[in-house]
Amino acid sequence: MRTVTDALRTRAGAIAAAVLAAVLLLAAIGPFLAPYDPLRNGADILMPPSAAHWFGTDYLGRDVLSRVLAGAPASVLTAFEAVGIGLVIGVVPGITSVHLGRAYEWITLRVMDGLIALPFLIFAIAVAALLGNAVHQAMIAVGILLAPSFYRITRAAALSHANAQYVTAAQLFGASTWRVLRTHVWSKILPTLVVSTANATAGGLLIVSSLTFLGIGVVPPEPTWGGIVASDLGYLTQRPYGPVFPSLFIMATVGALNLLADAIRDAGGDHGRARTRGRGGAARVRLT
Amino acid sequence: MTTLVARSVAALGRALLIAVPVLLVSTFITFMLGGLTDQDPASVVLGDSATPADVARMREVFGLDRPLLARYALWLWDALHGDLGASWFTRIPVARSIAERLPVSLSVAAGALLIAVVLGGVFGVLAAVRQGGRLDRAVTVVTSVLATVPGFVAAIALITVFSLLVPVLPSGGWAPASDGLPTWASFLVLPCVALSLDAAADVARQLRTGLADTLHENYVVGARVRGLPGWRIVLVHALRNGAGPAVAVLGMHVPRLIGGAVIVETVFALPGIGELTKTAALGGDVPVVQGALLVTIGVVLVSSALVNVLLVKLRPAARREI
Repeated sequence: MRTVTDALRTRAGAIAAAVLAAVLLLAAIGPFLAPYDPLRNGADILMPPSAAHWFGTDYLGRDVLSRVLAGAPASVLTAFEAVGIGLVIGVVPGITSVHLGRAYEWITLRVMDGLIALPFLIFAIAVAALLGNAVHQAMIAVGILLAPSFYRITRAAALSHANAQYVTAAQLFGASTWRVLRTHVWSKILPTLVVSTANATAGGLLIVSSLTFLGIGVVPPEPTWGGIVASDLGYLTQRPYGPVFPSLFIMATVGALNLLADAIRDAGGDHGRARTRGRGGAARVRLT
Repeated sequence: MTTLVARSVAALGRALLIAVPVLLVSTFITFMLGGLTDQDPASVVLGDSATPADVARMREVFGLDRPLLARYALWLWDALHGDLGASWFTRIPVARSIAERLPVSLSVAAGALLIAVVLGGVFGVLAAVRQGGRLDRAVTVVTSVLATVPGFVAAIALITVFSLLVPVLPSGGWAPASDGLPTWASFLVLPCVALSLDAAADVARQLRTGLADTLHENYVVGARVRGLPGWRIVLVHALRNGAGPAVAVLGMHVPRLIGGAVIVETVFALPGIGELTKTAALGGDVPVVQGALLVTIGVVLVSSALVNVLLVKLRPAARREI
């Protein structure tokens, strides 16, 4: 995992890691930091930010800062849950599809193609709502929908290493398929996987915030970052800056994950893919 | 030209052929949703006072007494003939509800696609041509920031600016095109822009990368040596080869534009298909959810096939990638 430590030594990587660490800390202890009860209604409704209420109060007089802090676990950890599910159902068939025969390969390919065709957000909404409108059902749906991208990435990486000479050499020495996968293929795929996991977690967070914004998978008084934005929506004329506070938390987390993925990719974690955010090469072309 | 047409038709045919197993898998998953839910329409419709015999008769009316696979085959067969069943609660045919809402969703998605292509295209090309310059860096920063903005935040920000602070556009609602094009367009602008931003950012980023690589190719230098004007080299020669990744990314965004429209439909109070699915799912109206998902999957598959054809047209070498 040298590429990850290399990435953390760059400035962008260090900033991203610091922001992520802060968000994770918030997800762990945020509810205990809340200065007020996030569910308690107050007389001072729709207050602007002040010393007593840093982010102001919402339409029921609840302290927005307390709600943002208390909503951190439900807003962040759920995305990790979805990505974890997606990793398992995507990566395992992704690697094994290259090594376990044509029929198995064909079936996994078709199933993953079918999953890609499912319209993402609507399908997650349908699953979550029909299966009891609970957050874990929603995350299983999101995880299933994330699986094809993990499948494709690991399969592409596994394919590129499957016919490498060191794999052939290992097989000539009598190594089993399982041993080849574990010791040779896995270590080569891991850096690529770290990059796409970070990107997928960013995407998962956006989906989770959209679902909670729509009120899917949450019971109303329970605060989530998306839900706080939704409750501000009806009071934009009184508090037009209301959605800014929870939105900034979502954007900072997503941005940090994307930045970290870029830093690891630039540190050499992902040789196969073109850099998407390069600074412009030394050989500049002037054409106008 | 005729070979190009023939090639496009062949590519479209191949893409549709690939779509058949995909359609079977995705529709089966969609159908299974109804099987997994504990919603029983018979007892829901009849209420608590129904006798077991009533429920059994009602289950027969709904066709729920047959095995799951038989119901799936029947559902798919009916769907191919335009019959998606009826809502469990209102008894309104699902196909009719969808037909009423599909134009709304499609016009928002098409508008967003257009904006994404124009914005992403212009800024992607400009950034690639001025690689390393101020504009390039600005595009990089803006696209990175846009990638972190959830759709509903973009929608709310647009409402705040263009409906509250500078009230020039309506904050929500819908008017059919028969009410006059300006009215129709005024309701369409903000949702389309809100939906397009994510795709526009991705297209700009991919176009910049693809075009920047292409501009280093020998044939571009050759065209320079031959004295062709710079804009012609970029727009005619390089763009054709450099646009591949951007078109591919655009193809990946098409399902999101159709399936992700539920967010803008909610924020802007548009009577679209996403809104229909969400309401039906929350109410447990399984046939409506299944029908809406089926139609959405169909639209996604057709648009993916079209994007593949576009890729072949752009770059004959891309034929192998389909």
